[in-house]
Amino acid sequence: MSPARRGATKRPRTSDPYDGPRRRTAQTGTPAASRGAGVRPWAPPAPVVRAADVDLSVDLAPGRSGGLKLRNPILVASGTFGYGTEYAAVVDVQRLGAICCKGTTLRARFGNEPPRVTETPAGMLNSIGLQNAGVDAVIEKYAAQWATWQVPVIVNVAGESIEDYVEVVRRLDGVPGVAGIELNISCPNVGRGGLQFAVDREAAGAVTAAVRGATDLPLMVKLSPNVADVRAIAKAIEDAGADAISAINTLSGMAIDRVRRRPLLGNTYGGLSGPAIKPVALRIVYEVAQTVRVPIVAVGGVSGLDDVLDFLLAGASAVQVGTALFADPALPVRLIDELAAWCAGQGLASFRDLEGRALPAGRDRPSVKGAEYRP
Amino acid sequence: MRLLDAELLASREILPGQWLQEYHAPWLAGGCRAGQFVHVRTPDYSGLVLRRPFSVNTVDRSTGTFSIHFRVTGQGSAWMSRARPGEQVPMLGPLGRPFEVAPGSHNLLLIAGGLGIAGVRALADEALEAGRRVTLLFGAAGAAQVYPTSLLPDEIEYVVATDDGSVGRRGFVTDLVPEYEAWADQAFACGPLPMLTALARLAGGRDARLGVARLGRKRGKAPAASAPGSKQARRKAWLQVSMEQNMGCAVGACLGCVVHGVEGPLRVCREGPVFAASELVWEAAS
Repeated sequence: MSPARRGATKRPRTSDPYDGPRRRTAQTGTPAASRGAGVRPWAPPAPVVRAADVDLSVDLAPGRSGGLKLRNPILVASGTFGYGTEYAAVVDVQRLGAICCKGTTLRARFGNEPPRVTETPAGMLNSIGLQNAGVDAVIEKYAAQWATWQVPVIVNVAGESIEDYVEVVRRLDGVPGVAGIELNISCPNVGRGGLQFAVDREAAGAVTAAVRGATDLPLMVKLSPNVADVRAIAKAIEDAGADAISAINTLSGMAIDRVRRRPLLGNTYGGLSGPAIKPVALRIVYEVAQTVRVPIVAVGGVSGLDDVLDFLLAGASAVQVGTALFADPALPVRLIDELAAWCAGQGLASFRDLEGRALPAGRDRPSVKGAEYRP
Repeated sequence: MRLLDAELLASREILPGQWLQEYHAPWLAGGCRAGQFVHVRTPDYSGLVLRRPFSVNTVDRSTGTFSIHFRVTGQGSAWMSRARPGEQVPMLGPLGRPFEVAPGSHNLLLIAGGLGIAGVRALADEALEAGRRVTLLFGAAGAAQVYPTSLLPDEIEYVVATDDGSVGRRGFVTDLVPEYEAWADQAFACGPLPMLTALARLAGGRDARLGVARLGRKRGKAPAASAPGSKQARRKAWLQVSMEQNMGCAVGACLGCVVHGVEGPLRVCREGPVFAASELVWEAAS
């Protein structure tokens, strides 16, 4: 340590009335400037923010009156958390940013033939087949309870035709306890020969526009990764009026039962989730963030704070935790605290200062071209 | 149901590739009944993303311990077999619904195929404690896989069948059942699906074969069906089975572990793992 520096530290406090115990005004300027300094890798900012003061709130539908304001950006992914009641004994459900409930269809569905799940390297396959009691039964059984909760419930909606989607959403519209809609468009479109809505730009746009016309609820559309270029589809969905985009749904995959010499899952194909798909999800979030202006909710392999930070830096406004819940049901609530503590440690007043920092030109200058995927 | 860490007290290989582990978790041991299970987390989340469900094998409330019995079939169970005493293992439990013994049942028939013993073992203790008589029919491929007598209470009658006849009767364990079906007030089974399917067929025809009267039943009218998965449905059933299925969350959220029920899919983790045999569709399952 140089003599001059030592002298500075020994300077009596009384000589500078602004030099409070936790503020190094001489080095980082005024307290206000240091608070808004953001991420500066070359000079770790002073820890002037307490974890409890970090603003974790985020609005997933900023363009809509009322919006979809979440107290924190940690959601639970559809299909992994049931209707929010199943884990209530072991998880403080009310602390979550939001709950995306199990996929809901117009009529009750029995789902696919078992077995429906299997573990794969660093992930799992599932082929539940949208088993649910139908939208009316779901509303009757859960909506009243949801309405008493602090945590917003986003109802995940699936269908086989645009009319199905519209009808389900129409029945959900205005129901107390339903905070928003997430469209699962990775379903076969019976009207177009079973082609998934999610792989067809026009169909994805059409179903989004039709649902948009049927409700004023905040509308989030979930992208499928099983497409050649996700950006065109994301743009079509944004243009059709979606308030937010969640990315990604599961990757299509399968497993073999070597003993019986046949496909392991009853449905042959399943959706891959878990840490194995995180790099794919990250790439898609990164691409979509350069294409659209609506908030992006990242989902795919989130299993720790590092994953949350990665997705935020890649342009997401919030993340959903899915498969990791099965191993560690307490993870989402812990992530909320860890994110607040991490932001405080970095001197960030809001986690949103991270959003899109890893994008080529920052989130504010979207480029359709971006950094493309070239295998 | 609670998330907790259970301390491994003892671990030993009781049969080739099969391990018996004793854990200390007073809260779990205190509230656990025969037929319920625990969902165990293995340490390496990045590689193994799912917990592993294990039936509770024996429970000792006085010491706050319980045991599980498993076969090493993959990376998760291999890790568990290498765990050392003193290790804290994260568990979720107790989960699922237990076996239900009708108050009037004095003679209980337990039927286990191989590792299926892990599913019904706890019921033997529970039944003996309640002053019931227990016969355990056990089936295995050969003498090397036969569950050791030393791990069973002295009071039960233990009958073994092996496929190769190296110990006990030659043949399947299901072949032994007709000799006991008249004696048994209720039967409880766990094992491979073909075994359970055969038992369910047997149980379906039992009333007619033995001429069992259906008391309290009006002529020509079916008895009021209890809701699938309800305590009454199991308590009334002559045969209760403990089912196995690939499992995700184990709390009923993911709908991954369903089996075919007569009235639609049933979750093994919530409506099960113990079902009345009559609640399930056996043709589709076999």
